[in-house]
Amino acid sequence: MTYLRLWLLGCVVLLTAGAAARGADPPPAPDAADVQALAAQIDKYIAAAWASAGVQPAPLADDAEFLRRVYLDLAGRIPSVAEARAFLKDPSPDKRLRLAERLVESPRYVTHWTNVWRGILLPEASANIQARLLMPSFEAWLREKLAANVGYNELVRELLTVPIDRSGIEVVYGPRREAGSALAYYLAKEASPENLAAGVARVFLGIRLECAQCHDHPFATWKREQFWGLAAFFAGIQRDRQGDFAFPRREVADKRELTIPGTERVVQATYPDGTQPVWRFKVSSRQTLADWLTSRKNPYFAKATVNRLWFHFFGRGLIDPVDEMVGGESEATHPELLDELAREFAAHQFDLKFLIRAIVASRTYQLTSAATHPSQQDTRLFARMPLRGLTPEQLFDSLSQATGYQEAAPRNPGVVVLGGPMSPREEFLSRFTNQSDRPTEVQTSILQALSLMNGRLIADATDLERSETLAAVLDAPFLDTRERIETLYLAALSRKPRPNELERLLKFVENSDGEDREKARRQALADIFWVLLNSGEFFLNH
Amino acid sequence: MNPLITSSAIPRLTRREWLKLTAAGVVGYSLSGWLEALAADAAADPKRRRSCILLWMNGGPSQLDTFDLKPGHPNGGPFQEIETAVPGIKISEHLPKIAKLANHLAIIRSMSTKEADHGRATYTMRTGHAPGGPIQYPALGSLVAKELEPPDAELPSFVSIAPFRFLSPAAYGSGFLGPRYAPLIVGENIANLGRAPGQEPDRALKVQDLDLPAGVDGRRAEGRVRLLEEMEQEFLAERATVASLSHRTAYQRAVTMMRSEAARAFNLEEEPQVLRDAYGRNLFGQGCLLARRLVERGVPFVEVTLSSAPGVANGIGWDTHQDNFNAVQRLSEVLDAGWSTLLTDLKDRGLLQNTLIVWMGEFGRTPRINANKGRDHWANAWSTVLAGGGIKGGQVIGKTSADGSTVEERPVSVKDFLATVCLALGIDITKQNDSNVGRPIRIVEPGAQPIQEVLS
Repeated sequence: MTYLRLWLLGCVVLLTAGAAARGADPPPAPDAADVQALAAQIDKYIAAAWASAGVQPAPLADDAEFLRRVYLDLAGRIPSVAEARAFLKDPSPDKRLRLAERLVESPRYVTHWTNVWRGILLPEASANIQARLLMPSFEAWLREKLAANVGYNELVRELLTVPIDRSGIEVVYGPRREAGSALAYYLAKEASPENLAAGVARVFLGIRLECAQCHDHPFATWKREQFWGLAAFFAGIQRDRQGDFAFPRREVADKRELTIPGTERVVQATYPDGTQPVWRFKVSSRQTLADWLTSRKNPYFAKATVNRLWFHFFGRGLIDPVDEMVGGESEATHPELLDELAREFAAHQFDLKFLIRAIVASRTYQLTSAATHPSQQDTRLFARMPLRGLTPEQLFDSLSQATGYQEAAPRNPGVVVLGGPMSPREEFLSRFTNQSDRPTEVQTSILQALSLMNGRLIADATDLERSETLAAVLDAPFLDTRERIETLYLAALSRKPRPNELERLLKFVENSDGEDREKARRQALADIFWVLLNSGEFFLNH
Repeated sequence: MNPLITSSAIPRLTRREWLKLTAAGVVGYSLSGWLEALAADAAADPKRRRSCILLWMNGGPSQLDTFDLKPGHPNGGPFQEIETAVPGIKISEHLPKIAKLANHLAIIRSMSTKEADHGRATYTMRTGHAPGGPIQYPALGSLVAKELEPPDAELPSFVSIAPFRFLSPAAYGSGFLGPRYAPLIVGENIANLGRAPGQEPDRALKVQDLDLPAGVDGRRAEGRVRLLEEMEQEFLAERATVASLSHRTAYQRAVTMMRSEAARAFNLEEEPQVLRDAYGRNLFGQGCLLARRLVERGVPFVEVTLSSAPGVANGIGWDTHQDNFNAVQRLSEVLDAGWSTLLTDLKDRGLLQNTLIVWMGEFGRTPRINANKGRDHWANAWSTVLAGGGIKGGQVIGKTSADGSTVEERPVSVKDFLATVCLALGIDITKQNDSNVGRPIRIVEPGAQPIQEVLS
């Protein structure tokens, strides 16, 4: 054991409350009272529905369950051993709120939510080679917006009105792509009016319009004309096609009509609610659409956004599916709550952090995920927290956190274009990408299971020679077996073992046999760490 | 625009939502005792269902230099036609062994499709739908796996050998059918762009992470798994949902596979050297051998990608924009050995009547030869081949024009083709699956006109 490791051990394992964990609380935000008020509104409406349905809600999650959940949701990874110890030990009653406030201001918030929004705005990234090449510049742009916490209306406006010209393309593909550009959005949608209309309707209006692209919507009231009327706002975009790639080239600002393909029918740019835009001099059609879309007069924008965020935290929308809010088969489960959230979101300048802080501060968010009564079965009543799958990034970053894995300096993501060996992180992300867009229905594949059971990352993390966290725990001379097990639990599951678990595992270690008694005990602890990292409790956000 | 519908009534769980839970593949596995090995010999199943082996020609093979030659025409190129076992049917001189087995082949010369970019065409040919929308369509392999999966399978029901997923990863996924029907991938060709092909096949064709890590013996691994099962009981008892049960199910199936006798399918060294040589000592040839070993053990869908050959410079095998004739000749040699040996090997073992073999790429090549002695992308008129189980062999379907640029008889669309494949496997093409957007989606889009005359 090296001195360095011993020193690290002192820092990581034993310091129960590092300076970073305790001392760095930001001063209370000026809108803290509004956050509390909205959280109370959430709980009021949710509780009213419980009462009328005769539901017995689950109790509050204990500190450890909340801790892990809020880290995963706001920071995209589990807490370190030191962070977990500090939080669990803290006796103050407002510690949950303070933790959430701290995490939402941390750099990890920007990292994690960049992934989240990229997934929402560029769902093509997994299927489309061009979209994947564009991810670096799009993520750089998102990071900048989220770090500055610009209003969501501003973010969307910038996305929809980004200038279309050659210089933008050079940023997206060129050596300056780290600078970031929203133009990637247009490239990923192949700059086609119909793809753009479909994407805009889905994410910003909560409407799935594209089925109306070819025919009148069979299940809802969407007409083909409405779809093409929205698409016509993008009619001025001129594009080039080269093989698999389509590039927006320039824009004819006053072109506001298009012909429905395969017909003679010409459609003018029209808002989906049927009203005609008022055109102003030198204001492009995209600008005009962005103004209408993000204005407070358009009720769908705020509703679609809060519904999507609700879905993100609770695994289903208040109207579900989240992109069939209008004209779909489903009704809002809590219509007044949806209205209230949308109103407050708009009143707070479409501040995403405000909304997130209010949701996380609610009692509803802080319920346990353990079932305690059959009436909690109906997921539409939010009577307990659902289990949600982790994104590949959340899983990898959590595994790294738990095991002490550090990747060699990350490569410039844009350089890896065609072929070339993937880094362990890239390989992991590609293996753990899942196709389900519903986190509550996420499924595990056999290869994913094999990779966690026998793959290099966890094999190294549970190897007596090559491990980081495990070796530090095993080598600490001042820990007894009980404390070692406890530390492994904190590292992997962010909680202490329950008495029955501890008893069972102590027996497991004591009963381990082999010629070399000490080695057998160390292997038994490695096995325990393996079990924790392979458990469903580790694999899911609960 | 409609007002947002407002109602405080909270409906009960709909039938569709329940169906989703069951469709997720969760129901059917008991919670206890999953460590008990499932004893079943898939190969000995008397009610054996059909299997499918897809030979995927990555990059789009030239129909004019394989199955639809135009000798004498300027578009024809230097290759000669040769006679086959079936009088009147002629194919390329570089497929001599396949020519001798033409009585098993139904050659479709009238494929006519719309997509001519690799990514879009790959997705379309492999899922039956154009990419771009919100619906995550499953690959053909996943659809077939779901329909033909043996109830007690020890191996995954869709195995993809040496795929090159880069151009369209989603075309290799199980989409809305979920990871249960996702392909088990071996020998992935991630990085062969710009590299010399020919990685060591025996190593490449192993399942990744199927073996225990170094330093962990079987006894210790069993102990770990047993402890995992025990320690998870409480979490699962309190939180039995799609996500947690699927996690457990995947571990259950992974452990089953690790212990399974059937996983010996991947031990190609068990085969006689002569046979291994006949298949060809390359990724594709050995992949065909592996496909036979998997089908033998009851795996319903196996695909083998041919994307490289010695002496072919470009990374995407059949994408022969330059130097078409040299590349196609070399690829044909690899193809001829692997495919012909596969056909005879299956026949010798009595498996051919139950195994459909599909030969296709994402599109064909331009009849006109370009300035670099290459051929570019062409979706308007190209060829595919069906062989084996469910197929009436020894015939040619459709006809292209003298210059090869258009289809003159019996145009076959993507859905016509996929419907034919499904029918040959005994799958009901009108069956619907629940999709990720909540609407049921048919296995093959409505309006398909299957090629009835090739079905036996």
